[in-house]
Amino acid sequence: MTAVASIAAPAEGAPRKRGRFRLASPLWAAPAIIFLLAFLIVPLSANLIRSVTLGEAAQQPFAYYQKLLFDAYYSGIFLNTFKVSLITTVCTLIVGYPVAYFMVRYAGRWNGLILFCLIAPLLTSIIMRTFGWRVLLARRGLLNVWLTDLGLIDRPIDILNDPIIVYIGLIHVMVPFMVLSITAVLQGIDVRLEESARVLGAGRWQAFRSVTLPLSLDGIATGCTLVFVITNGSFLTMLLLGGGKVQTLSLLIYQQFNLTQDVGFAATMGNVLLIAAMACVALQGRFLKRKGIKE
Amino acid sequence: MISVPLGLRGISKSYGQVQALKPLSLEVAGGEMLALLGPSGCGKTTTLRAIAGFEQPDTGAIFIGDKDVTELPPNRRDLGMVFQNYSLFPHMTVGENVAFGLKMRGTARAERDERARKLLAMVRLEQFGDRQIHQLSGGQQQRVALARALATDPKILLLDEPLGALDKNLRESMQFELRAIQRRLGITSILVTHDQEEALTMSDRVAVMSAGQIVQIGAPAEIYGRPATRFVADFLGTANVFSATAVAEQGAGLWRVALSGGEPIEVALTATKPLSPGQQLTFAVRPERLAMGSPEGTGLPARIRDVVFRGSFLTYELDIEGRDTPIFVYSQGRTAAAAGSTVRLNWEPDCAILLEAGA
Repeated sequence: MTAVASIAAPAEGAPRKRGRFRLASPLWAAPAIIFLLAFLIVPLSANLIRSVTLGEAAQQPFAYYQKLLFDAYYSGIFLNTFKVSLITTVCTLIVGYPVAYFMVRYAGRWNGLILFCLIAPLLTSIIMRTFGWRVLLARRGLLNVWLTDLGLIDRPIDILNDPIIVYIGLIHVMVPFMVLSITAVLQGIDVRLEESARVLGAGRWQAFRSVTLPLSLDGIATGCTLVFVITNGSFLTMLLLGGGKVQTLSLLIYQQFNLTQDVGFAATMGNVLLIAAMACVALQGRFLKRKGIKE
Repeated sequence: MISVPLGLRGISKSYGQVQALKPLSLEVAGGEMLALLGPSGCGKTTTLRAIAGFEQPDTGAIFIGDKDVTELPPNRRDLGMVFQNYSLFPHMTVGENVAFGLKMRGTARAERDERARKLLAMVRLEQFGDRQIHQLSGGQQQRVALARALATDPKILLLDEPLGALDKNLRESMQFELRAIQRRLGITSILVTHDQEEALTMSDRVAVMSAGQIVQIGAPAEIYGRPATRFVADFLGTANVFSATAVAEQGAGLWRVALSGGEPIEVALTATKPLSPGQQLTFAVRPERLAMGSPEGTGLPARIRDVVFRGSFLTYELDIEGRDTPIFVYSQGRTAAAAGSTVRLNWEPDCAILLEAGA
């Protein structure tokens, strides 16, 4: 902060005509703006135009949007996408919160190791990770062999052909995002707040429920938004683990683009996903802002 | 309110190889305010956290009244605690903060609100019940923390550096206010502080701690006026420490001693321990107990090195021949003696406190 101030101050004081080199020049944003224009704004705009001009939309601009929202098959997939994302988000929260809480409150010097274990899966290729699950959960995979050996099951369970494998894969990928979002906020919550609740008569759980949990809502909101939005658009996990059992928008886009080659419809779905993501982020922003005023 | 005594019977605590608390016993009478005073790492906070139930002592027992609470979790010890940073719940209003303890005890809402109002009135914040915590000043937050701690009618009040985060003026007025409330309620209280002035002002008794044990315990005036060791003398205010050799007893406890260094000069002190002639000893004299006289009179000759105006008094820094560390004198005198002039120092024999007597 001080460094910035001391650099900025002479720049402000010095008259411009001297043509001094200024660090705080808007010009520095130019590369980023050009890059974003070329590779984000332009393609997205093109996509928007495509969705209302190509194919069926040539006759009626919003034909694809109507088809997606009102056709029973497509609107089913549309809703299913959100259902999958919602379930994944909730499961990730349930798995991730205790991990985050443990890391911040109890892990101490093991924190780094836990963090590494969390992030390590993100560093491996998604394809490796996904096939890893297939190996573990196959008919004759590790899980089935163990369960059979332990005598818990008679016949191997067919997880690979059950939608649950998609959720397992998704949660595996998403947990780090959730944990990191929550630890960031938990770290800022003074342990003494929980201690004062304890002295005032709250049991462990009560102290957590009435103090730490409400104070960590920011982290939960951030984590959930992140997981929900990423899951909405996640494609490889759905494709490689789902194998058609779980149908979502991202898979449909792939089909429309590659198989049916209905580019207009694919663009429509892409736009709808984008709007959903933006809505989530906006909602989260509002949530944080409201909390911000309260504090 | 019935005042409940607190008893620590031989509690100790180690963290790995470090003994944070040597076996410590302490009886606090009902309604008494006891200060645990010491530098950081002396074990005062560990003691407080053991009483609160956040740390389990390795040995010993903690009694509140005649009930052994050593094994009880913090929420079942019936305590009130004020933390250094107040630890107010930022997501609740002032009123909700004060009523929190009652809510945890399942008190009905109406009663809770009534009690919270009463407590806020006690700390002169009755208009602030619906405010958010961040809207309050530091002093106000401190008072809310006190109201919250007292809302459940706790048996013991624990104060962990309660005024540490306030500025000086506010801290002084809060010392008196807190003290007045504590007396009025007659609640047994433990004050942890590293601020000697706070300990002396607020408490009935002060326990000075160092390296995990209590070095001296007693009334503030006693601790200040009769420190048992050099550590206590130094930690509570300023002390001019002298080394000397006992010469001869001049009557009940009154001794003549010869100061070491330079030419031996005989001065008087009142001995608190048995002495014999020829014994090495150290004693301390408080700066405000030293009187400066004219160079022609009797007493210890000294040269004024510096005079500092401190508002309500003057601080003199003096050099004595054969002594490395300066002598400090606090004087109420209206005209300052000039730096560089020579004076003679005198003190009443009972103001010279015998600290250590060696062979």
